Amino acid sequence: MDKKRGIYIHMPFCVQKCNYCAFLSFKADGSPRKEYTDALEKEIKLRAALENEQGSKKIDTVYIGGGTPSVMDISTVSEMIKTLRRSFDIDEDAEFTLEANPATLGRKDGVMLAKLQAYKFMGINRLSMGVQSMDNDRLHFMGRIHTAENVARDMHFIRQKGFENVNLDLIFSVPGETAEDALSDLEKILALSPEHVSCYSLQIEEGTPFGDMAERGELVEVPDEEDRDTYHRICSRLKEAGYEHYEISNFARRSENDTDGRSVYRSRHNSLYWNMDEYIGIGLGASGFVNGVRYKNTSDLDEYFAAINEGRLPVAEEHVNTAFDNISEAVFTGLRRREGVSYEEAVSAYMKAHDAEDIDPQTDNDFRDFFWEVFSEAKPEAEAYAEKGLLIIDDTGLRLTKTGIDISNSIMSLFV
Amino acid sequence: MSYLDNIRNFSIIAHIDHGKSTLADRLIEKTGLVEARDMKEQYLDNMDIERERGITIKLQTTRLKYKANDGQEYILNLIDTPGHVDFNYEVSRSLAACDGAVLVVDATQGVEAQTLGNVYLALDEDLEILPVLNKMDLDSARPDDARAEIEDIIGLDASEAPEISAKTGMGIDEMLEKLVEVIPPPQGDPDGKLKALIFDSYYDSYKGVIIYTRIFDGRVKRGDTIRMMNTGKNYEVTEVGYCIPGTIPADELKAGEVGYICGSIKQIADARVGDTITLASDPATEALRGYKKAQSMVYCGIFPAEGEKYENVKDALEKLQVNDAAFNFEPENSAALGYGYRCGFLGLLHMDVIIERLSREFDLDVITTLPSVVYKVVMKSGEILEIQNPSNLPDPTLIAHIEEPIVKADIMTPNDYVGSIMTLCQNRRGKMIHMEYLTKTRVQLHYEMPLNEVIYDFFDALKSRTRGYASLDYEFLRYQPAKLVKLDILLNREQIDALSTIVPEEEAMAKGRGICEKLKDIIPRHQFEVPIQAAIGQKIIARETVRAYRKDVLAKCYGGDITRKKKLLEKQKAGKKRMRQFGQVTVPQEAFTEVLKLDDGK
Repeated sequence: MDKKRGIYIHMPFCVQKCNYCAFLSFKADGSPRKEYTDALEKEIKLRAALENEQGSKKIDTVYIGGGTPSVMDISTVSEMIKTLRRSFDIDEDAEFTLEANPATLGRKDGVMLAKLQAYKFMGINRLSMGVQSMDNDRLHFMGRIHTAENVARDMHFIRQKGFENVNLDLIFSVPGETAEDALSDLEKILALSPEHVSCYSLQIEEGTPFGDMAERGELVEVPDEEDRDTYHRICSRLKEAGYEHYEISNFARRSENDTDGRSVYRSRHNSLYWNMDEYIGIGLGASGFVNGVRYKNTSDLDEYFAAINEGRLPVAEEHVNTAFDNISEAVFTGLRRREGVSYEEAVSAYMKAHDAEDIDPQTDNDFRDFFWEVFSEAKPEAEAYAEKGLLIIDDTGLRLTKTGIDISNSIMSLFV
Repeated sequence: MSYLDNIRNFSIIAHIDHGKSTLADRLIEKTGLVEARDMKEQYLDNMDIERERGITIKLQTTRLKYKANDGQEYILNLIDTPGHVDFNYEVSRSLAACDGAVLVVDATQGVEAQTLGNVYLALDEDLEILPVLNKMDLDSARPDDARAEIEDIIGLDASEAPEISAKTGMGIDEMLEKLVEVIPPPQGDPDGKLKALIFDSYYDSYKGVIIYTRIFDGRVKRGDTIRMMNTGKNYEVTEVGYCIPGTIPADELKAGEVGYICGSIKQIADARVGDTITLASDPATEALRGYKKAQSMVYCGIFPAEGEKYENVKDALEKLQVNDAAFNFEPENSAALGYGYRCGFLGLLHMDVIIERLSREFDLDVITTLPSVVYKVVMKSGEILEIQNPSNLPDPTLIAHIEEPIVKADIMTPNDYVGSIMTLCQNRRGKMIHMEYLTKTRVQLHYEMPLNEVIYDFFDALKSRTRGYASLDYEFLRYQPAKLVKLDILLNREQIDALSTIVPEEEAMAKGRGICEKLKDIIPRHQFEVPIQAAIGQKIIARETVRAYRKDVLAKCYGGDITRKKKLLEKQKAGKKRMRQFGQVTVPQEAFTEVLKLDDGK
């Protein structure tokens, strides 16, 4: 049976851009938001038409990300989702996530309740909140528009409206922040008992206000040692609090409904990315992986509108994955998961590509042998990492150890 | 009237960038037997590296025809010369083949160090010199100043020096008239015993070695058996002819003429520049003077980089040597870098060119080690060793003393920069011999300096301190005893032989510190601390530490943009490929060449 697909829709608008943000987003005020959702609807239809030609598949996750999707007008989002549902066959129990930033759901209690109610009607069943910190000074420093108090209030109403799957994002290693600060943030987040927590170490990127400050020497990055110490303490604390650490930066609360030790609250959508599953990307700068082809939409808003108005997909880059691309991506995305990547899934990804050698592995050993045949050059170095206790290589696959996570890029780069 | 009266054999001499090659091109276009539109491929497109650097490394020779105002048709043999100090010997042999030289002076720059160096070489060969002022199309041209400099500094009468622009073609006709008038016709006896000077040669895969020659006496034709007077080898001539450019066969070459000879000669080394060709059946009694074996001044190790095959490097070096008698190599084994070659060069530029050709023409990935000069090590036993690889320096207790090569360095500069040049030279152990004001604003500084100090980045340092205005000319002077020690570098407590250098004892501490600091910047962080140490014998004299990194992880995959993540990982992997593994420590390849670039001014 074919796997199901996900859909990602990008909303590139924010109230204001944060100081660390290198994502694609524009100031919401004065931006053509309505035109944008209209264009999204057209792109959805174009994609769906293409899908129907190729034999459409059930959609089991939808993720509306940004930007800040919650700044979009409810009326337009609602229309867009209707179009989405008409165009694609979305599972009844699909995971349907909307990213929302604190303090964007409505100032008045009534507005907020109504807005959340509207999201419920649309079928959104998971909210992902960009909390980032629970310290108002740090929030301000990062250029966030909200306060810790906003977060608490938002969560209160979110729960009141019956959202039972909520993710809270936390950023640590902001310049000047100690491990204790981060852990104190985490405690405040845990007090809100989210089903899911994402913890990201701040990356200072070129071209952001933080990047510029760092270049001028006005920003002192948290030393690696401290950052890693913070990270590991966060991981321990979350584990202690009953969360499953299932991906480098992601934690899901355990519950009695878990099967095979996997939390039901794992993000199904993000898991697509780590499982070599397919997803359709829609919107400005969105990426997709459909029928073995990776594509990326244009990041230029004018170009995006122009393409849509001409009735064509706004794809800027397209790459037909080779068998090696597939196995390589399976490894480095799979290694992000704590359970690692099995030889079987990596080799299966390989076999799906158009140019795969005709192989017919049957046993675990067949998968393993073929895997290491492909990566024979990387093997000695991989084994050296294993000896240092950074990587576990066993009969069924590979996975990073906790310390291996810290240098995961070096290990992953062996496999590209 | 003899046929000799209608021949002019000449070279163009100039400082780098003064427009020699452009002038040569213009002359060919004006008078050559090549169609203008074919010219690019035939003449210009010879070596990319030369063109990019604006210098001529390999000689070109061309036969031109010019109908002068007196109604006579003249054969002009333009013998081009390499334009860099590394190739002084080749320049001198090319000049020896001429009867006169056109001295090109950039009218915007005036006389430079190499202008003078080249003029002296030409005077040594008794050449008549015709000065011309080039780049007259530029607004910044100051012909009167340039003329005054030629008269004051060189001592030539420049009052009638043609004003030209090689670029636009302005003044070229006037210059050619002057050339025929000033430069004397060759002399020689076509019926005498054959004496022909080899002034260049190159390897052609069909014809074997093609010798460029000037016939001084006698004549040579196909079927003759020729003898190289210095190497003593005999060859049967398969073809003679003129360089138009390219090779156009002729019946014979006779006294006064310039052309080429082929004789199934397998390697360049058998037709050495400067050697004299005579007939085996009727040899001349004496060779032409001035023959010298090419001597390597600078050495470095060339090793295959990670993943590159030793055999490929060997093949490429052999191919380069076929065409370059001044380049030599022998196998070398380094504990750090494995099997490779120790290569000898005429100088730094020669080295750069060869290394660049390895990557460009042969697509090779190589690691080059620090350049080194040849030291004479006098042992207590009285034995004298020539050491060009620091790793081979014998146990210090067995050494009586070490001698290093000293060069005579002439630096010409606007007087504003004298102070900073003096500081630079002093820092490089230079000894000032003399300083003279050539004009009110131009100064020539004469230094004696260890060659070792010149070969790393002296030229770059000189240029950067003088905004490019200073020019340098240097030549080997003598060997001189010096207090030198071997400075070893240890990474993670392991000695890396390819990073050893020989340095003056009194500077060892500073150099050791400098190298450690530089390596600290070059070596990427590892998962553990990497101590970098500089040592003399067992004694550690400097230490730095590369801090361990603890973090190399991307927290987030950008909204399913796997391709972006993949590109990052691929970049990381590619970066690693340019690294070299030493035990646990990974060192970028550039470490081996960059590490001694410690310009004191920065």
